[in-house]
Amino acid sequence: MKKLLSVLSLMIVATMVLTACGGAVTPAATQPPAVETEAPVATEAPATEASVDANALPRNETLYFNGQQWGPVVGWNPYSNSNNNALAIAQQDSARVIMFETPYLYNMLDGKQYPLLADGDYAWDEGMTEVTFKIKAAAKWSDGTPVTAEDVAYTWATAVKYDTPLAAANKDYVDTIEAKDAQTVVVKAVLGDDGKAKNPLLVNAYLSTNYVIQKAWTQTLEARSADATALLADPAEDVVYSGPYGKFFADDSKVVYVRNDEYWGQDASMWGKLPAPKYLAHTIFKDNAAGSVALAQGEVDVSQQFNSNIQVLWLNYGLPVSTYLPEAPYGIGASLPTAFYNLKSYGLDNVAVRKAIAMAVDYPTIIANAMTNQSATFDQVPRSLMNPTAGEQALYDHDAVKDLQWAGNDVAGAIALLEEAGVTDTDGDGWRELDGQKLTYIATCPNGWSDWQAAIEIVAAAGKKIGIDITTNYPEWSVYQTVVTASDADLPEGYDILMMWSDGAGPTQPWGRIRKLMSSEFVGMASNWNGNWGQYSNPAADELINAIPTMTDESELKAAYTELVKIYLTDVPSFTLMYRPQAFHAVNESVWTNFPHDGDGTNPPVPPLDMTDGWSIAGLYNLTLVNP
Amino acid sequence: MKHTLRQIFRSGKFVFGFSIFVGILLIVIIYPLIITNHPLEIVGQGTFFPPGVYVNVYDSLGSTSYTLMLEDAAAKRIASKLSEGDRTAIKEWLVKAGIPEGEIDTADTEKLLDQWVNNYDPNKNIPGMTNAKRNYFIRLNNSLKGLLSTEGVSIAVKNTETGALEESDFVGQSEYVNVSQVASVRVLPLGTDNFGRDVLTELVAATRVSLQIGFVAGTIATLIGLALGLLAGYVGGLVDDIIMFITNLFTVIPTFVLLILISFSIGQDKRGPFAIAVVIGLTAWFWTARAVRAQVISLRNRDHVNLSKLSGHSIAHIIIADILPYIASYVVMALILQISAGILAEAGLSILGLGPRTTEVPTLGLMMNWAMIYQAQILGKWWAYFPVIVVIALIAFSLNLMNTGLDQVFNPALRD
Repeated sequence: MKKLLSVLSLMIVATMVLTACGGAVTPAATQPPAVETEAPVATEAPATEASVDANALPRNETLYFNGQQWGPVVGWNPYSNSNNNALAIAQQDSARVIMFETPYLYNMLDGKQYPLLADGDYAWDEGMTEVTFKIKAAAKWSDGTPVTAEDVAYTWATAVKYDTPLAAANKDYVDTIEAKDAQTVVVKAVLGDDGKAKNPLLVNAYLSTNYVIQKAWTQTLEARSADATALLADPAEDVVYSGPYGKFFADDSKVVYVRNDEYWGQDASMWGKLPAPKYLAHTIFKDNAAGSVALAQGEVDVSQQFNSNIQVLWLNYGLPVSTYLPEAPYGIGASLPTAFYNLKSYGLDNVAVRKAIAMAVDYPTIIANAMTNQSATFDQVPRSLMNPTAGEQALYDHDAVKDLQWAGNDVAGAIALLEEAGVTDTDGDGWRELDGQKLTYIATCPNGWSDWQAAIEIVAAAGKKIGIDITTNYPEWSVYQTVVTASDADLPEGYDILMMWSDGAGPTQPWGRIRKLMSSEFVGMASNWNGNWGQYSNPAADELINAIPTMTDESELKAAYTELVKIYLTDVPSFTLMYRPQAFHAVNESVWTNFPHDGDGTNPPVPPLDMTDGWSIAGLYNLTLVNP
Repeated sequence: MKHTLRQIFRSGKFVFGFSIFVGILLIVIIYPLIITNHPLEIVGQGTFFPPGVYVNVYDSLGSTSYTLMLEDAAAKRIASKLSEGDRTAIKEWLVKAGIPEGEIDTADTEKLLDQWVNNYDPNKNIPGMTNAKRNYFIRLNNSLKGLLSTEGVSIAVKNTETGALEESDFVGQSEYVNVSQVASVRVLPLGTDNFGRDVLTELVAATRVSLQIGFVAGTIATLIGLALGLLAGYVGGLVDDIIMFITNLFTVIPTFVLLILISFSIGQDKRGPFAIAVVIGLTAWFWTARAVRAQVISLRNRDHVNLSKLSGHSIAHIIIADILPYIASYVVMALILQISAGILAEAGLSILGLGPRTTEVPTLGLMMNWAMIYQAQILGKWWAYFPVIVVIALIAFSLNLMNTGLDQVFNPALRD
């Protein structure tokens, strides 16, 4: 019996170890989750019979991705936010346009919007009340019918009618969209008190952010949907699209898109040819580690995930892997992952405490360790509200805010600041007190978001160096997101310093990012997916944020941005921990080559956004085979 | 007692297991007395520095320099920058750039580099060359600069007033420093981890915490199992039925799943090492209870127990004086296995991200967890995870070996 039990227990132990070793590792990086306000709608994962076996795609005709699609595809409905169809549907600053198309394409490298479905540039009328643009005559749907202005108008009308996420996000700025004739679209803006568009920036952004959906198909969809919920929940297997790729295969292991060889874009008025790969395929990996292995082995061509220490792949293993920039930071920083202070926490209403913590943080270590150098440092790009792109950096007066910026690791400076503000250790326990109460905080970010967790650990370490007790805590994302986005109440205990993202690059930036970092309009919002999660409020900042969208004079604009940076660096409602690319972009040139990279000679330059987002889709037309 | 101990220490297996375990214990106790660095101190700015001796470059400039005339120094320097693969790649490039293949000799370093320097142009477009390869040549070109130079390098200081560089020192190619004379040297026998912490120091601290977790978990599990087993076995009847009902319930639920669910529901803010140990202990007692009960049932009708009952002793007295001594050896063995299982359970939980709250204390499982998150196993950074596996294996191995040794001593059926 004893023997048997020992054997049994050993077996239990062995199974424990085995299960543990094979167990799930939480995804290592923090892919910025899509801002979804609804619960995902469960519908059957679609699957079609195909003449080419989706599990044996010809390698020389297929471009493989990772890091975009997690979990099986739910649907193909461009009205819905819950398709979990990452490669096909993402209406964002640089919209994903392989299947559905926007009138314009945003290029984060030069900040311009280039026509896609649209013909030529858009134009505002004299009174700044409406935007007019034309639809290309060549533009066709996948069913062969032409794309018309009526489709653009009906897309917006449907969004408003059923109150889809698209309408919710834009109806404060876009009033109506009308078809003047078959090719001409007029977008009427919501007007402000002065009789001009309330926010022309967001109207411009609408044109490169949101898809045009076919009117005829929408009517079919409406006919079979009982109500708005049913319309949004429809998996839309029969959807008609205008982009170069459509559905080929989808199950819980992969999703494959096939090129539409009749694609209108081969017309001389657009690309003049078809994109190079016949198939786009995305294997659904368990986690980042699995995706990294596949990238290293050449099973993935384009990687949109955080591959830690990616340089090891070429330096040590000699693999044909490369990134947009050949050396660190390897990509173009676009967003500013930021630690927000809960301004209601005891002592964090004191600006000296906020600034001291931010000054003491060892940012070089965050960038070197948490981000494995895949971020510019604050010595290279001093902190402001702008991302590291040249366009945004030029928008504020660097010399005017020089004295306010800090590069971090300044323990002595932080201590001096605290001493000066009277925040001292009065009872000799090694921790500082403010009016007799010990300063103790919890810094937090979602569990499993490893680079953020590593960064938060370094923030906590900074606190200890200056005598402020900061400990860390990592709730699950499901909990974290509900707590942090409930801006209609004070943040609960345990959320003193919290990490969230900020906007990346887009047609409204840097204004959109600044608004989401500082504007008090989000305080009091029950489901705040925008920003300002620490609930900061400053009328001077609000006024500037409201004024910028209608400013046209460049020097006036620069003065306003400089003032906002000043306010931000003086008040320290939050502080940026690192710069992060809009999307990670690493490629393996085992099969395909000629991917976009710095200095590749493309004009306009193709941005490193995996050749799926915004103007970066131009990269798909440049690809060639390594061994044709 | 003395006799038993002598017998135990005569078992080769036990002694072997015991020495490994004591060795680990001694390292855990003595190491922190010598190396007093905080185990969670971030020393490296960067991830996964390889094991080795780190010599401060700045300090070595200021140290006494010695001239050694080593003939192979230049050859070594060249070999470290220009491998065979690099030479072949250079040849390929030159051929594609139009140099006749016959003119290129990869063995002649000087000529090869000469051809390279004269012909290489980073902007030249070589058909069919990938961007990865182009980057490789740019890096190679940079690392080859001045490779064949026989001159040393100047160290310059920036004049704070004029901003001009002023030579302050000159380093010749045959100058050496003695490592023991350099002011700042740090030995990182196992390199650093993803946070830039010294892995060896962290590993020792983690082993201590993991052992503590194992002891606490093992003790709790054994105490609960022992108490319930004794009670069920000796009292019998309804008490036995109830206890066995609960025990059987626990037996059929997979422990690890239970462990995961409990750890998850505690929430991370309350998951300290002690809490985890208690949770592990609370989910691991049932097989001890079953085994103890079975033994007690076979003991309770022995003559000496009946005699004790007739003498009017209380249940507690009978259990402690007449039953416990007979199963004591078994309990010790069970405890050893429970400790080993506790350590493994912590490692398993932590790898899943459900271990003790991250980075307040290191544990073996947390070290594995972070190494895996930062993909050490894919990037070949073995020092971040392999030593941890070895330590876990050694602890489990030594404890199980001790258990087997004890089994041979106490179990007459197994005695040689």
